[in-house]
Amino acid sequence: MDLIQTLLDGLMVGGLYATVAIGVTLVFGIMGILNFAHGQMVMLGAYTAFFVVSAGLGFWPALLIGMVAMGALGLLLERVVFRHTLGDHMQGLTASLGVIMVVENLAAAAFTPDPRTFEPPLPGSFQIFGLTLSSQRVLVLVLVVLLVVACHLFLQKTRIGKAIRAMGQNRTGAALVGIQTTQVTAIVFVLGSAMAGAAGVLYGSLFAITPYMAAAPLMKGFILTVLGGLGSVPGAVLAGFLLGVAESLGSRYLSASFRDGYGFILLIVALLYFPRGLFGQRGKVRV
Amino acid sequence: MNHRSTLIAARSAAVALGGLMLAASCLAQTIKLGMVNSLTGPHASFDLPASEGVLMAVDEINKRGGVTVKGKKYTITVDSEDAQSKPEFAVSGAQRLLRDDDIKVIFGILTSGPGMAAATAFGKSDVLYIGGFTLLDTLLGKPGGELMIRTLNNDATVAKSFVPTSISELGVKKVGIMLPNEDVSRSIVAVYKPLLEANGVQVPIVEYFQPDTQDFAPVLRKFQNQGLDGMLTGTNDALVEAILRQATELGGLPRKFMYRGGSGAPAIKYSKAVDGFTWQILSRDLDNASDPKVKAWIERYKAFTKKDVSPNTYWALTFYDTVFMVAKAMEEVGSTTDVKAIDAAVKAMKYEGVRTMRFDKDGHAQSDIDIGILKNGKVSSVRAGA
Repeated sequence: MDLIQTLLDGLMVGGLYATVAIGVTLVFGIMGILNFAHGQMVMLGAYTAFFVVSAGLGFWPALLIGMVAMGALGLLLERVVFRHTLGDHMQGLTASLGVIMVVENLAAAAFTPDPRTFEPPLPGSFQIFGLTLSSQRVLVLVLVVLLVVACHLFLQKTRIGKAIRAMGQNRTGAALVGIQTTQVTAIVFVLGSAMAGAAGVLYGSLFAITPYMAAAPLMKGFILTVLGGLGSVPGAVLAGFLLGVAESLGSRYLSASFRDGYGFILLIVALLYFPRGLFGQRGKVRV
Repeated sequence: MNHRSTLIAARSAAVALGGLMLAASCLAQTIKLGMVNSLTGPHASFDLPASEGVLMAVDEINKRGGVTVKGKKYTITVDSEDAQSKPEFAVSGAQRLLRDDDIKVIFGILTSGPGMAAATAFGKSDVLYIGGFTLLDTLLGKPGGELMIRTLNNDATVAKSFVPTSISELGVKKVGIMLPNEDVSRSIVAVYKPLLEANGVQVPIVEYFQPDTQDFAPVLRKFQNQGLDGMLTGTNDALVEAILRQATELGGLPRKFMYRGGSGAPAIKYSKAVDGFTWQILSRDLDNASDPKVKAWIERYKAFTKKDVSPNTYWALTFYDTVFMVAKAMEEVGSTTDVKAIDAAVKAMKYEGVRTMRFDKDGHAQSDIDIGILKNGKVSSVRAGA
């Protein structure tokens, strides 16, 4: 029972990691930019939820507003900053580092570094088949699965999704067959940022919100992007759940003081056997 | 110029010189205290109230006539430096104070980073340094730390009153300890675990977690269904609030908590979900003041600072009483400059101020503390002696 509970804990937190990683891997797959500012979207999404819930509007509007607001911010960043760095990956990476500093310091100045929390929609725990589970964590897992499935269906079944995948395979080829690459790039940024916003809202429903909270999800998002295979959405999702379970089992049965180390062990071992990541495609960049 | 005008000029010069000498002698009848505190930066939430406490005590001493040393009246002035929450500014502030030969006693700093840096400078000089930061205890009584005093109790002293009071208030019999993996946590366990056991409480689990952990579910599972009725945790409000929140969400965990920290804020938010919570108020409880001395002090603080009390105001009592002790020590030893004699007199003194202050021979505080208690949704506090 204890093992199953711990596995479920890992899946719940792993789902959050996966939601962050989807945005990172989408932007990298399409634009080749490792967008470090993605973590700031998570943080701002969490603050959006905090203020919306504090205003009495509740968790569900907060989730919606968080996603829409971060999607809009992603579009703005793409138009103002990243569109102009497309030809130079190093410039894009440097610009994203600059965005981190600006957003983080603005957030610290505006919101203060004091940790914030908001009341989750499902507080407390429940018992099922002898397991004691946190209601909010189960809700977060369900929402993460829904988001991942929705994202997958969007990429697989819609014309835009197909265009995104085509650009991920070959940007020049996609342009040659008539895909509006600049529009698709903007859509990818919006989608990735909205996923980060959702991750932030869900993070905020479980953990404390601070202006400096972005570092951990961002670092894990990058680990998962590499582990899953650069640009692979299914890879990022699988890697997210694997990382969550590895951290959870390691902290529960080994040492909780080595928590973040388990993810890197997983990464090193996986890359020894899958040098292009779990779902990395033949011919793609070796990570 | 004729002889008469020369005479007038000479007389005027003599009067002016006399006036200057008189003014100089009046100026000499002041005691100049040094103060270095982080008035800005992240540590200002502790150090700013602490500096207000010093200024308030000085103001009160001056208003009642100052300090009388060998029949001579002295007023106190304070020369203050801002450590800006950074060790390098703490050192430069300390050095500026040390360059002033009139400063023999220096107060300040509640956080160990800037505090250790400044104390290193003070240790090489012939001044009495009175600080509040945790690591100051490691310097007291050792070479370079002979003229130093810490006005807040160390862990071992706090635990002597906190542990038995918490056990009796919470009624716990089997407790788990959960702390971040830091040096200070090891020393907390070394102090608290034997004390808990000596007071008849079993401590079957001690767990350390990664300091920046946000998801405590896996480590909390280790405490689940172990028959525990309490947990001891720390070491800062944000961390403890996260632990409490997740413990109440996961279920199957103790609902009574002992917090090795100075605020009830982490539990007050979850007062309906926890059965009991105790914390350490290293000076006096200002939120639930019943002691007339504390009530009167709060009114004086409001009048002096033109501010209301906040959750951090109790740090203003860190040095407040000790300023009075230093003034009294100067009167007793008959000197404002003999720092060794003043230091010895302060360390030998028991002072019933707003706090009950006393020190051991090395300068470790042995003062009474208040213990905050949250039970049945109600907050109160009790006074506990070391």
